[in-house]
Amino acid sequence: MADREMITIEIDGKSVSIEKDSTILEAAREVSIYIPALCSSELVEPYAACRLCIVEVNDGRKTKLVTSCNYPVRRPIKVNTSSETVLRNRKIILEMMLSRWPNVQLIKDLAKHAGITPPRYQHPAVDLNPNACILCGLCMRICEQGIWENIINFTNRGADRSVQMPYDSEQPHCIGCGACAEICPTGAITMIDDPNQPYDADMVRRAGMRITEEMIRFDKEQCDMRGVGTAHLVEIMDAYDLLPVMNYRFGKHEDSSKISSDVLRTFFTKGKPDGCWLGCTMACAKAIENFELKTGPYKGEKVLVDGPEYETLGGSSNMGIFDPRFVIEYNFYCDTYGLDTISFSTGLAFVMECYEAGILDMEKTGGLEISFGAKDAALELLHQIGRGEGFGLIAGKGIRYMKKYFVENFGADPGFVFDIGMEAKGMEYSEYVTKESLAQQGGYGIALKGAQHDEAWLIFMDMVNKQIPTFEDKAEALHYFPMWRTWFGLCGLCKLPWNDVEPADNAETDEPAKVPGHVQGYCEFFEGVTGKPQTMDSLIGMSEKVYNFQRVFNLKMGFGKREHDAIPYRSAGPVTATEYESRQDRYDTQLREDVGIDPTGMSTIEKVAAMRKYRESQYEHLLDAVYKRRGWTNDGVPTVAKLMELGVDFPDVIELVRKHGG
Amino acid sequence: MIIVNGERLEWSPGKTARDVIKEKNYLFPLLIVRINGKLVPRKKYDSTVIPDKATVDIIHLMSGG
Ligand code: SF4
Ligand code: SF4
Ligand code: FES
Repeated sequence: MADREMITIEIDGKSVSIEKDSTILEAAREVSIYIPALCSSELVEPYAACRLCIVEVNDGRKTKLVTSCNYPVRRPIKVNTSSETVLRNRKIILEMMLSRWPNVQLIKDLAKHAGITPPRYQHPAVDLNPNACILCGLCMRICEQGIWENIINFTNRGADRSVQMPYDSEQPHCIGCGACAEICPTGAITMIDDPNQPYDADMVRRAGMRITEEMIRFDKEQCDMRGVGTAHLVEIMDAYDLLPVMNYRFGKHEDSSKISSDVLRTFFTKGKPDGCWLGCTMACAKAIENFELKTGPYKGEKVLVDGPEYETLGGSSNMGIFDPRFVIEYNFYCDTYGLDTISFSTGLAFVMECYEAGILDMEKTGGLEISFGAKDAALELLHQIGRGEGFGLIAGKGIRYMKKYFVENFGADPGFVFDIGMEAKGMEYSEYVTKESLAQQGGYGIALKGAQHDEAWLIFMDMVNKQIPTFEDKAEALHYFPMWRTWFGLCGLCKLPWNDVEPADNAETDEPAKVPGHVQGYCEFFEGVTGKPQTMDSLIGMSEKVYNFQRVFNLKMGFGKREHDAIPYRSAGPVTATEYESRQDRYDTQLREDVGIDPTGMSTIEKVAAMRKYRESQYEHLLDAVYKRRGWTNDGVPTVAKLMELGVDFPDVIELVRKHGG
Repeated sequence: MIIVNGERLEWSPGKTARDVIKEKNYLFPLLIVRINGKLVPRKKYDSTVIPDKATVDIIHLMSGG
């Protein structure tokens, strides 16, 4: 987006320079010149209903009266906001309004300001309600343009005109965001509080409204969550070499544009707020209607598909498949069979690499030629998993099971399958390449539930911004962010409104990565519900208790020690010569600058080994630092002191951690 | 020569914040740009010229699931 053309105009003798196509009203506000305006708001398109904002414009040839809220500045003009004609006309309008709505405070104030006190006549449709609707149309415009709903509108004509929900009844599609009530200048709309009686419903709503306002103002130019949801990450991850391609061997592919958000946009038919959280206006969920399935039990039927989101798209590139119709179909069937698209696609990427490496063949897969890009075979295997049949019985059990099975039954090289089988604690990796971000390797490896990015997504901070260079910096990030994200889980909240839209002043805060303005909003949200005031630290404190307790639970179940935080080498560096050679310049430079080895004359295999030795030791250092920061032993066990400090030192907990050296 | 996120980048007279974002292929929309520590507002990427030897931080925030 290029900088906009600026135009200089004169308002009441003051000169003001403003972006072309801004309105006169906006220009006047720039220089603090007051123009009364009842039906306009920066959040919605102008409507020019009240006509109060009239001003006189002279374009060098003639002078005319215009409504300033919708008059675009395109050339240098002179504006008079309080000429005699303007004041006379404005007074007539206000007198009419006051006679119709004599008790509405806003109208009374404006009338007083214009020197009118009692109305000189009574309007035939006089409404004595102090919260009367003044027909400004702000509510219906914010609902339609701001929230992307279309719940309320004007009904009837003339004196009977009023704002209503269709059929004057409660609307199931109203998401309860409260934007209409918030924008209404007279208080004509009230929200009926949820029966679960929050301590301070207004506080909750205000916190929500701030997000809504940011969505309306900034989403289009920020993440476009409402346009395409998380699908926008496909092209971004590709640009940063982070999009998993062919079982995380590579981070970009020339065909990735075939499954980019621009392509998906042409498929999406539904994108309004779907009400997964009451009042949420982020509307990240997208759906495709009337999609004709090509395979499986519903072949030939037209169905509604919920998605796809980024992970499902990234899962497809991970299988080397760049066909949007395939993505939509596998998305549908994973949902239908109750499978997770991440586990399925990462699992299949592993199967495909094993097939190409000769560990699997058509005999072992029951006739499936399942190499990278084989979309028909991938869908067939998905149906087999769904039916619990054939090779699907093995693949459906996940990577951890397959690794063992392939070694025991197919003679696979254990070292190789453990290097390329992308799981941790038995859970498949989600769809990001982590090789160049040590902190993110920890983000996946140390995460309590297994290799999920939703405890901490640190790749940009670490790899691109270089904001957390030392082990201690990374450990601090691997303390704060997992605790913060755990808090969402504790409260049953979605994380997206935290950082998929950003407040206008976020860049000026001390720690923009934490989005302090939104953390504050969550504190208010919590206080509004429970009545207990919070700070960023107190929220983190809540999580720390639970997080440590969960680690103890992992320990009890046999997953809570250093050995369980180990990661497959593919997530830390290049396993094969092909991978190394595909990014040779990068790795050679790192060998020279970071490892201190001159790669000249070394074979690729030697270079892979040298790089591996270095990166594996880096990961161990990272674990040391993280455990230390978290108050755990060097074996990753919470210490008794830490558990006492957190108040979760129950006798059986203490007994367990003591047994493990805690 | 300028330093962008810790890495060296060629400098040329008139190079703007937008030019650097393009050259680095920084497609991500949630960026914070600082030149020698001073914040550059999003609207000024095209008109802000980077002086030689500047330290440029182009901070990417996080987003996504
Ligand atoms: S609460 Fe939100 S969705 Fe419902 S009518 Fe008001 S603006 Fe529209
Ligand atoms: S209900 Fe409120 S916002 Fe809607 S038209 Fe009436 S006065 Fe305006
Ligand atoms: S504010 Fe311009 S017509 Fe109402």
